[in-house]
Amino acid sequence: MYTLLSGLWKYLFQKDEFFVLILGLDNAGKTTYLEQTKTKFNKGYKGMNLGKVTTTVGLNIGKIDLGKTRLNFWDLGGQEELQSLWDKYYAESHAIIYVVDSSDRERIEESKAAFDKMVVNSSLHGVPLLLLANKQDLQGCMSLGSVKDVFNPIPQVVGDRDCSTEAVSALRGDGVYEGINWLAECIKRNVVSRPPTQKEIT
Amino acid sequence: MGGLLSYFSGLFGSKERRILILGLDGAGKTTILYRLQVGEVVTTIPTIGFNVETVTYKNLKFQVWDLGGQTSIRPYWRCYYSNTDAIIYVVDSMDRDRIGISKQELVAMLEEDELKKAILLVFANKQDIEGAMTVTEVANALGLPALKNRKYQIFKTSAIKGEGLDEAMEWLSNAVQQNK
Repeated sequence: MYTLLSGLWKYLFQKDEFFVLILGLDNAGKTTYLEQTKTKFNKGYKGMNLGKVTTTVGLNIGKIDLGKTRLNFWDLGGQEELQSLWDKYYAESHAIIYVVDSSDRERIEESKAAFDKMVVNSSLHGVPLLLLANKQDLQGCMSLGSVKDVFNPIPQVVGDRDCSTEAVSALRGDGVYEGINWLAECIKRNVVSRPPTQKEIT
Repeated sequence: MGGLLSYFSGLFGSKERRILILGLDGAGKTTILYRLQVGEVVTTIPTIGFNVETVTYKNLKFQVWDLGGQTSIRPYWRCYYSNTDAIIYVVDSMDRDRIGISKQELVAMLEEDELKKAILLVFANKQDIEGAMTVTEVANALGLPALKNRKYQIFKTSAIKGEGLDEAMEWLSNAVQQNK
């Protein structure tokens, strides 16, 4: 009887836990994007003042619930020396969000290089990928098209995975909903190769 | 009623946040505490027991506990864990020999239930000395990439020169306000 009840309880309340890694160069807007996501998907969440976001040297976390799906976010520091820490998270990630600062033409190649290095990593094989052309609120920034041209992912490199690009403004919150919802769908489609991490609920 | 009261006291920023400064002996915990409080470098002797001071930053009050870091007294750290809002873990960036011990202490501490919600700040201290470990080296040596459920941030500090501390307090005050 207990088993039956606890089974029912689990069926009703247990969430499928997925982990999403937010990567990109420093100052691309990863933490702002995370804060914006948390604000938009969690009712009553009082986000931090987006003007007070500082450089991340470490980890920021966040979680949102979409029905029975729970997305946990890991937002890592993007400075060059910290990029060596990224791969420690790859094996446990169910999706990648790569944030690009569209207004920073000087560092777009650097961003591309970091992206290339990340995308070929074998621990990320088949993991859905969302590329964000951020800071679209700034005048004179690169359009989604020109960011795509730079990143123009050669099919062999990106491999067999769901992949999408999106023009966003993390500061204003434009494009956040669409991206996250798309990603959640892909993660669910990919459960066979990357099953959710199930957490015991008490 | 209690909630209402704490809401109002929150408005005036008078609720004290409890911060622990931990780390091995000789890491610079006491120097950091008094740098934060009086803004000066004081002459310190190894702490046996603890120092506690109230530090005000902007309109936030922090009750900062600096606990002795010697091997024999580390087991007593746990007596201070309850209701802690944040942990400042201080590492001597020159002490490559003992970074492994520092890691063990950190890992054991973070497993404690009472500290589940606490925010972690790691101070890679003594950055004024040439040849100090970099942020990445410290992160790897402490096994920080294995932390997946906790917000943390690493700061390069020099308690002697007072570098990195303001930045850390600024970050901390934002983080605790968000965490409540």
